[in-house]
Amino acid sequence: MKKRWCNSGLPLVVGATLAASAALAQSVDTARIENAGQNDWLTYHGSYKSHHYSPLAQINASNIGNLGVAWTHIPGRSTRGLQSMPLVADGVLYYSGSYSRVFALNGATGEVIWSFFPELDEALISRQTHSPYNRGVALGEGKVFVGTMDGRLFGLDAKSGKVLSETRLIDSQKLTVGFTGAPLYAKGSVIIGSQGGEWPGRGPIFAVDATTGKKKWEFLTVAGTDEAMKTWGNDSWRTGGGGGWMPGTYDSETNSVLWGTANPAPLYDWSGADYKTQGARPGDNLYTSSVIALDIDTGKLKSYHQELPHDAWDFDSAVGEFVMLERDGQKYVVHPNKGGFVFVYDRNLGVKNVWRLVENINFVKDIDPKTGALIGRRDFPVGKVTEVPLCPFIGGGISWNAGSYNPKTGLYYKIGQEWCMTLDIQKTTPVTAPQVQLNIGADFKMVPPPSGEIYGHLDARDPITGAKKWEVRFPEPPLGSVLSTGGNLVFVPDSRGILHAYDAETGAELWKHNNGTGHQGGIVSYSVGGKQYIAVAAGFGGMLADEYAPNFGGVYKSMPRDDGALVVFSLK
Amino acid sequence: MLKLHLKSLPAVLGASLLCVVVARAQSATPAPDNGSLDVEQLFAGTCGFCHSDGGRAAGRGPQLMNSQRDDEFLHNRIKIGKQGAMPAFGESFSDAQIDQIVKYIRALKPREG
Repeated sequence: MKKRWCNSGLPLVVGATLAASAALAQSVDTARIENAGQNDWLTYHGSYKSHHYSPLAQINASNIGNLGVAWTHIPGRSTRGLQSMPLVADGVLYYSGSYSRVFALNGATGEVIWSFFPELDEALISRQTHSPYNRGVALGEGKVFVGTMDGRLFGLDAKSGKVLSETRLIDSQKLTVGFTGAPLYAKGSVIIGSQGGEWPGRGPIFAVDATTGKKKWEFLTVAGTDEAMKTWGNDSWRTGGGGGWMPGTYDSETNSVLWGTANPAPLYDWSGADYKTQGARPGDNLYTSSVIALDIDTGKLKSYHQELPHDAWDFDSAVGEFVMLERDGQKYVVHPNKGGFVFVYDRNLGVKNVWRLVENINFVKDIDPKTGALIGRRDFPVGKVTEVPLCPFIGGGISWNAGSYNPKTGLYYKIGQEWCMTLDIQKTTPVTAPQVQLNIGADFKMVPPPSGEIYGHLDARDPITGAKKWEVRFPEPPLGSVLSTGGNLVFVPDSRGILHAYDAETGAELWKHNNGTGHQGGIVSYSVGGKQYIAVAAGFGGMLADEYAPNFGGVYKSMPRDDGALVVFSLK
Repeated sequence: MLKLHLKSLPAVLGASLLCVVVARAQSATPAPDNGSLDVEQLFAGTCGFCHSDGGRAAGRGPQLMNSQRDDEFLHNRIKIGKQGAMPAFGESFSDAQIDQIVKYIRALKPREG
């Protein structure tokens, strides 16, 4: 396989001290990620438990007034902003920017240890719609793994940035899509899901051997089993969709990878109520808009729950974390769905509860909390959906960035989005041939909810019952991830560019700082040399953020959508 | 409904294709010689994802109805795209097809009712 290097991306080791530090670092392995040492942030969701929580308490509710910027790093070429989740191991911070640029930085100073700029198929990327942002890397076995928009997975030497493996997984020239989501490292494998949803593919999720870089298995989220094939009438599996564009997690007790899958295509079906037999894709369309458990060694499907059978609204399950909890001897997995509901499962994905995070939901009347069955679903025929708009908006009641579970407070902190849309559903011709663009099936427009204004909210809730303890409202929905810490703090990077810190028990705002541009990426905490840091990605733009300027005006009118910075805070 | 039939276009758009043709680097799906381009479907399938309400309102992309941009600008933006904002459709559509899309944009009117 041809190896591609960009001159400016040649690894550069800066400083003997840093090199020595990196050399002394322990390799990141499954046990270490599972134990989630408090000084590090070793995987996208913080640990396999997906808490997005740091037990560090040096920065706390009593001293946060002294929090200030420690250092900043500019990745450059931040087309559509900076959307990634930084990772930290042994004092070294790793993160990715648009075009899959990867940086290893001294976590205390921001000094660049090495950088990697892959040479990409720019002509292909210029034709892509959901591109060229990248949402993160994975660490494992002394390597940093990153996916690319043109369908490859790189394994880089964590000490030097040198390319150790390059695996082509998707023929992106043929299918258009590639990888924007972070990979997951677990048990010697690197798991990564492709984009899908709006394109005529079968939405593969891959496992690659972390040592050799060879593909181990591939699971097709569209008609990936005989059972699933029967749920795509009229061979509509060829129209496809699916995919798993955000990282899931690993459950060592069941030896399973848990992953959320994307929607079928076209997004909006004209079937009306007869969706089982009529329309663009008759049937339930397994395993789209589902959560699935795959054997990590073989990729075989072990269990699943389709959160939205025959998703006709683009409220898929690819978004969100798999929060693992124990309560009263029961083990739970909490998974938010884009439609605004939060599903609570047992470890085998059996439904234990379903609760609403979002007020404005009308694509169904409800979801049965005991079975997960949809009640009173709205399936549209051809025509306009204007008198009673569809809620939520296509951006979702819940977007793809993560919430945070704080074991000290027992609360789950999660952003909800209150907005709706009008539609003009159209009967489009099936798109089954690989081609370059999308398969939506409707014209649409963002509108306020019937009950009032568009807004977003940070909720502090019981993750199992959904009982709300407090709420903070925002004039526009925040799009970044949430972090909670052992210092009784909840950090919310908002869309206007303000990083807020709230009291984790009460929701009282304790501190804020303007980062100068909107947030739609990750936020983590770590410690180097006994000092705690908070790192947040700033930089706006992309499929949802691009809606803000025309719909909300204000600061968004002049906000760049091709810029970004990693901003790191510590106590002064 | 505004439909534009492009009988003289190259064999690129068949009944199974909404709007776009395979990139040159891959083998194209054969399409009949008399393939037609339904621009309204093109908007419902692809363009409307960013140009809200079928191009009548601003969304992820700008409002196209009553655009102050001239035809040459619109043609080139569709063909070449804009990094991080507008995909390049130059490998998907011929110049004649892009002209038809521009013509459709010029004919956009507010929805009735």
